[in-house]
This record gives sequence, C-alpha cells and structure tokens, in this order.
Amino acid sequence: MQKIGNRLNGYDPGQFKRKFKLLLVIVAVALSLLVMRLWYLQVIKGGELRQRSENNSVRLRKIKPIRGLIMDGNRRILADNQPSFDIVFVPNRTKDVRNVIEKIEELYTGRSLTFPSLSSLPGRVKPFVPVLLERNISMEKLALVETHALDLPGVMTEVTPVRKYLNGEMTAQIIGFTGEVSREELDRNTTDKITTGDIIGKFGIEKFLDSHLRGKSGAEQVEVNVAGKAIRSLGRIPATTGDNVVLTIDSELQETAWSAIGNRGGAVAVLDPRNGAVLALVSSPSFDPNLFNGGISGDDWETLSNDPRYPMENRSISGQYPPGSTYKIVVAAAALEEGLITPETNFYCNGTFELGNRIFRCWQAKGHGHVNLHRAIVESCDVYFYNLGKLLGVDRIAAYARAFGLGAPLGIDLPREKGGLIPTKQWKLSRLRQSWQMGETISLAIGQGFNLVTPLQLANAYATLANGGTLYRPRLVKQLESLDGHVVKVFHPEKQGVLPVRPQNIEIINRALWGVVNEKGGTGYILKRQEQDVCGKTGTAQVIGLPQDEKMRKAKRVSASFRDHALFVCYAPYGNPEIVVSVILENAGHGGSAAAPVARKVIDAYFSRKKMMQTEQPAKAQGAVANFRETPLP
Amino acid sequence: MIKLDRRLILNFDWTLFILVLIISGIGLVNIYSTGFSLTDPRQTPLYIKQIQWILIGIAGMAFAFFIDYRFLSRHAYILYAISIILLLVVYMAGYATRGSQRWIAIGGFTFQPSEPVKLTIILALAKYFDHHQIGRGYHLNELFIPFLIVIIPFLFILKQPDLGTGLILFILFLSIVFFVGLDWKSLLIAAAGGLILTPIGWYFLRDYQRERILTFFSPERDPLGSGYHIIQSMIAVGSGGLFGKGFLKGSQTQLKFLPEQQTDFVFSVFAEEWGFLGGIILLIMFLFLILWGLKIMTHSKDYIGALIALGITMLIFWEAFINIGMVLGILPVVGIPLPFLSYGGSSMVVLMTAVGLLMNISVRRFILQSS
Repeated sequence: MQKIGNRLNGYDPGQFKRKFKLLLVIVAVALSLLVMRLWYLQVIKGGELRQRSENNSVRLRKIKPIRGLIMDGNRRILADNQPSFDIVFVPNRTKDVRNVIEKIEELYTGRSLTFPSLSSLPGRVKPFVPVLLERNISMEKLALVETHALDLPGVMTEVTPVRKYLNGEMTAQIIGFTGEVSREELDRNTTDKITTGDIIGKFGIEKFLDSHLRGKSGAEQVEVNVAGKAIRSLGRIPATTGDNVVLTIDSELQETAWSAIGNRGGAVAVLDPRNGAVLALVSSPSFDPNLFNGGISGDDWETLSNDPRYPMENRSISGQYPPGSTYKIVVAAAALEEGLITPETNFYCNGTFELGNRIFRCWQAKGHGHVNLHRAIVESCDVYFYNLGKLLGVDRIAAYARAFGLGAPLGIDLPREKGGLIPTKQWKLSRLRQSWQMGETISLAIGQGFNLVTPLQLANAYATLANGGTLYRPRLVKQLESLDGHVVKVFHPEKQGVLPVRPQNIEIINRALWGVVNEKGGTGYILKRQEQDVCGKTGTAQVIGLPQDEKMRKAKRVSASFRDHALFVCYAPYGNPEIVVSVILENAGHGGSAAAPVARKVIDAYFSRKKMMQTEQPAKAQGAVANFRETPLP
Repeated sequence: MIKLDRRLILNFDWTLFILVLIISGIGLVNIYSTGFSLTDPRQTPLYIKQIQWILIGIAGMAFAFFIDYRFLSRHAYILYAISIILLLVVYMAGYATRGSQRWIAIGGFTFQPSEPVKLTIILALAKYFDHHQIGRGYHLNELFIPFLIVIIPFLFILKQPDLGTGLILFILFLSIVFFVGLDWKSLLIAAAGGLILTPIGWYFLRDYQRERILTFFSPERDPLGSGYHIIQSMIAVGSGGLFGKGFLKGSQTQLKFLPEQQTDFVFSVFAEEWGFLGGIILLIMFLFLILWGLKIMTHSKDYIGALIALGITMLIFWEAFINIGMVLGILPVVGIPLPFLSYGGSSMVVLMTAVGLLMNISVRRFILQSS
C-alpha cells in the first residue's frame, strides 16, 4: 500500500486512483474550456472585437433619477422639481479643460456674461468622464453655448432636474435641501448605491427620507462618434423616479404660525393630540433652501453658516430652552399622583419662599395669599410650586418628566432632534461632579435651572394631558406614494407610553389649564375665545438667574439677549382636544403677553377653517340623512 | 520545530519555486502596464507596491517552508481560530470601501482577513479528516464538524459582503470532501439538499449579488455595472487577437475602459496585450503548477500532508479557473482574484505562504522517508 505513495488510499487503493484520475479530468476539462473560449474570442471574433475596441465606441451614460415630491397633508406641493441646464465637458480628442474654459469665457465676455471661477477642477481628466463646468445656466448662456457647439469640441449641455421649494423659508427647516454627494458621504455610505455626482438629501426630510425620495439611477450604453456625441443606444435601463412623500403638515397653519412669529427668533410646534401628527413646525429665523439648488455659492454658504442667529438650526426640535412655568404641570401631576397633596391642599404665598438663608421669589411680588392647586396653576403661583418641589425632591420630578416624554429625543422623522435635559441627582454627580442642592430642586419646580426642553417636547407633553394620558411619537410623515399614486407605506400613530397618572388627576390639571385662559386672573386670559374652549399655560424662562437684588433685576430687563424667553402652550377644544400649540419666543419677555398671541392666531386659523368646512358639508350630510330615511325600518 | 536539515536544501523544490516566480513576474509586468498611463505621479506606482508584496510573500513562503508542516497542522485549530477572530474584527471594526467591509488597517497597510482564512480552513479540514479516518465513505452526520469549520467563516464573509471568497471556501470544502470520500447515499441526499437550498441561498444574497448572477445570464440587464464589465472585458480580450497588441499597447487598458483592471480583471489586460499565444502560455503554466501540486499530494508521506497539498492545489486551480472564466464571460462576475497576477497584498502573501507549505510537504517526504 505504501508503495503507491501515502496513506490517502488507506482503505481502497482503487478508489484513490479513480478519484485522482477524475480530478485530472476536471482540471483538464476546465482549462480546455478556457482555451476554447479564448480561441473563440481572440481568433474567431478577434477581428470584430478589435474593430470595436479601436472605435472605442461603447460608452456608459448614467440617467439621473427624478426625486419624489414632498407634499403637505392636503397634497399641496412643498418641494417640486424643475429642469436646470448644466455645461459639461467630455474629454476625448481634446483633453485640455483650461483651453475649453477660456473659449467659453471669450464667448461670454462678448455678451457681458461671466463664467464662475471653478474652485475644484480635477487635476487630471479621464477620457470620456464628463467634467461639470457650470451649473444651472441661464437661457441666454444655453443658447450661446448651443449655437457655438462646433467651436467647442467636447462641450455639451445637459438637462438635470433640480429642486424648487415653493414655500422657501417657511418650511426650510422641515423640508431641508439637497446637494451633490460629498466624498465623505460616499465613503461613509455602505448600503445604498450612490456614486459621484449623485444628488442626495442633506438636511430635513430630504435627508431623513433620502433613500425613498432619491429614486434609482438608470443607465444607457451608447455608441458614440469621434466627437463624443451619442449616435445609437445599445441598451437602456430607465431611471426610477423616487417616491412622493406626504407629510402631516398643514401648510395653512404653518403659514399662520410663520407669519405670526415674524422676524423674531423662536419656534412653534403644532400637534394633533389624538395621534401625534405634526400639523406645523416653525423655526425662525430661517434660510432660503432654494439657495442650495444647483450648488450653493461659497459666499452664500459663508453668510448662512456664520449668521449669529443660526438660521440653519431647527429650533422646534433642536432648540433647547428652560421650560419655565409650563413645567408646573409635571410637578403638579407628580405631587397629586404621589399623594402628597389633594386638590384642596393650601399653601400661603406672601411673595417669597425661604430655604435656609436663600430667598426664592414669586413672580407676583405682593404674593397670592392662600392658594390651592387650581388657583396656583391659573395664576402660576411660584411659591405654591416651591413647596411641591420641596415635598417631591428632584428624582421624583424627573421620573414624571420622563413619562411626559421630556429629557430624551421623541423620535420625530427628522435628523438632528435634541433630547433636552431632565436633571437628577445622579446626573449632576456624574456630569458636574457635584452633589445636588435642595435649592436647585426649588428652582426646578418652576421650570428654571438645569432642565431644558424643545418646543416639540413641550407640545407633546401637553398633548398627553389633552388626550387623557397617551404619549405618541410625533409624526411628520403621513405616507409614501409611488409616482402613479399607489401607497407604498403608511405611517400609523405610534404609542410610546402611557402617563402614570390617574384620569381624575389628569382632569384636575386640565380643568386648571382651562382656568388659565378662561378665569379672571388667569395668566392666559388674553386667549379667551367666545367658545371658552382653550386650555393653556404661560411660561417665562429666565435666560440668566434672577438676581437677588433689585437694581440688577432692572438692569437685566434692558439688555435684549438677557431678556427672558416667552413660552405658551395650549390645546383646544376643552374636553375633546384636536390641536396643541406650543410657542417659544426668544428674549421676548413674558409668556402671556408675547407668546400667547402667536398661539391664538394658530388656534383661530384652525377653528375658522374647520367652521368653514362644516358649513360646506351639511348639504352632503343632509342628503345622507334623507337616504337613510327612505330605507324601511326593520 | 525548526531543524535546519541539509536535506531541506538538497531536496528543495526548485521547479515549484521558479514556476511561481515566473507567474508572479508575468503578473508584475502586467500590472506595470495597467498603471502605465494616466496615473497620479504623486502616488507610488502599483507595480512597486506589488514588488513589495511579492517580497513579503517570499518571506511568508520561507516561514511556511522551514517550519515542519506537521507542527503547523498540530496547531491547525488555533490558526483557524485566530483567522476567525480577525474576521470578527473586520465585522466589528472593519474598514469599508464602497459598500463592503473587508479590510482592517494595521499601521499603514490594509489587510483582508478573508484571504488567510482560505489557508487556515484547509489546515483545519486536513487535521480533522486526518484524525477521523474511518476506512469508508463519510456519512452526512459525520461531516457536521467539517461543515461547521467552513460555514462560520463563510457566513462572516458573506456578510461583508464578499460572494467570491465565500464561494471559494465552499468549493474548497466540496473538493476536500469529494476526495476523502462520501458514501453514496449521503452524496444523493447532499445533492438533493443542495437543490432545495439553492433558492433559500438566493434569498440570503444581497441585491447586487443577485443582480450579478442575473446579469451573467443576460449582460444587458445592467449596462451600468457588471454587464458593462463583462462587455468591456470581452472586447479587450478579443481585440488582442492571436498575437496581442503588444506590451503597453492595449487600447482598452490604456484608455481605462476596463474596470478593476489591476485586480479581478487583470487577465483581460494580459490577453489584450499578449493575445491568444500569451494566454495559452499562461494557462499552461497554471496547468503545470496544478499538476505539480497534485504530484506533491500523491508523494506525500502522510495523509494530512496529502490533504493540505490537495487543498492548496485546489485553491489555486479554482481561483484561476473562476477568475479567467469570469473575464472571458463564461462564469458570473464574482470578486475572485487571479492567483499571483491580480494586484493585492493579502492574496499574494497568503498564496506565497501556501506555496511554501507545498514545498514543505514536497521536501519532507525525503526526510520522513528516512526517519
């Protein structure tokens, strides 16, 4: 056995030989297959293929897809596409880009047009790989280049679709914008088929739903002549248009909120408390997203990114503000639910609250006298809540705040959402390496101190009260539809949790919030409507701590950037709320006087339109009733 | 462990050594040609880098040659485990380029751990079958552990995703199992199972991988991607004709029509410039290399040596066959490098090391015979 070679054949020398032979046969067959194929390609088809290679005629052309539209809840188009003309240069016979550019510049100067200086010309050009020379050219330039095509070898004009944002600044923060994919984005991307030159979403919904909106590039193999012009198509995959996105946004409310804010800095978030649909999301100041169409110029980008008012920040989801008195509902709910107080529990307010040697002031210097929970919320008595804060302690307040959806991002369909901050003892210890002070809990109870919320979180927290205790994920996207209108995906309401507060306690707070707007002495009395249906809460968030001495307090009111932020949150109608509005105006002073009127405009707009729709509908409704009567009763 | 035996030098397998050097030399000349025009002068030319890789490969070859392969095979499972850990590192913290995560960076180098896995599973499988000789064909249940040895790296590599390397691992497994023997009933069951599993495997493939397979059957499906590769590659090969266009004269190559021309499609560059004649010579050299490997297998003094030699030879054979078949348009486009010709450090170093192991087995038959 050993003679044959080794123990591989330990059990059956015959089988070993057979297998060895079979292996040789497999190798022989495989290699002869390759030889035959080589013979076929190089000798039989050699002449033909050589000719094809000499013509160098087969070229690949990418077909850019059309981006899906973005619409509001009533199918009004917010982001549309329009054609844009670009000048490209395809290096073939001529490879000298600079020379070509000089020729174009010459043409332009004859008509007193200017050619933009190209910041990034590729160091070397590859044959047949198009180089973009100028984007989004005017009709005049287009005509000029087309008529001089013969003098400009390799130069072509290309049509590409670019975005048009119909509402400009008003929806810029939500819709976002697109741009050419950057090198870093290409490297980071591991899943999608993105290649150099593709247009992708860079901000807002455009970025968040980019993979749906973008569509798929097509491709075409074309045979070209010596000048590089396509003469024949050899095969073509059309591009796939991206899906349309239908948002939950109501453009009319968005418009109302946007114009109500004016040029002040701030944000408005409007929600449907029954399902978490976002009806409006405004952030001011804003920017013109159409600047980004076809590539933003260096100067524009410079101005935009260096603006001290940060127009590119979406304040409604990433602006973090102290909640001020709007936070009192959290403290009230915690105290009621923990059984520390009843609705009748009284505290006496003489305008100050003492803890050790520190004095905490009520906003009403002369005090509110004896107050129960209802009055404390209606009149926003600080001393009452200082007492609750002392009873509760920071960690219990934090637990309820989290149940209201504060302190963590809510998961809205937008990039860069912030979570705000709900401090606990542990947080301060690990973050600031300091132990918690009781005085901090006292400030916290009226929404001052470390805690921070976003306008969206504030609206969402009040929505949970309004709907009786369900925490929804705020949704900006209603559904995705294909080009032909088929629904691709529907986004349903998503419950994120239930408020750990009993219905009767929720009702006590809701009742008090109604009082804020509808009872004499309420801080939101300005919002009272004939229908008596609005509930709300004012808030005034200190930008810097309230100075202890009187002189400083006066000085503070003078400087604009130290002035307080004005907050207002409300919902309506009482009993069966359909809309929640939160408003934050930066450095605008008192919530009741500055922020509440903005909320009022939104609420009014919502209900006046609802009324209008109801007056249109009865005709139909009556018809239905009439029909019903005709059917015989069983 | 390392005994510098006089017989080691005396019986050195010069044929194998020189053959591999010639093939690598051809590869080098070819890579020089792909980088001849239009490259960025600031970067180190690829052929210089490839020379570095060949030198490192020869060091690996020496390492694998001097250490007794029975020592290596005793530690086959440890080597296997290390290579799996490297794959795990890729999975967790790998370096991704354009859609797949295959590399890890060590110092200035990037390194592809799926390459050494090819060698370590050969060692691990050889060790397993050497330990479990049963004197008859294996039943399917007796192949569970060997299957596990292959499927673990296979799944990691498929996840990267790298269909080609995964495929090679699987084919290596089948080649070795074929040789150690499968009993008839098991063979039938395995064949039936394979038929059933194919559609399931299809389900697990990435979209682009499916697309490549579909494109193989009709290249016009994807004029942007692999269809374009195949067509341009066939034009390049065919235009070479009988004698080729000559060194540095391949227009498809020089005008960069060929995609991946230093790596997976390197054979089309060779065929364009050296023609049918050059292609035949290269194929004959590969044939010679494979036959030489099989000869080493039959002359090995022990079972495990024979199995290792078989595995390495089969690795070279299948990689060469699948790669060239793909370039010539008779096999689907799956990313498998052409041994010793494709540019790429990991593949070159691993293959050189594998050849060192072959030489090791070749030379030790004399030593083992007399001891």
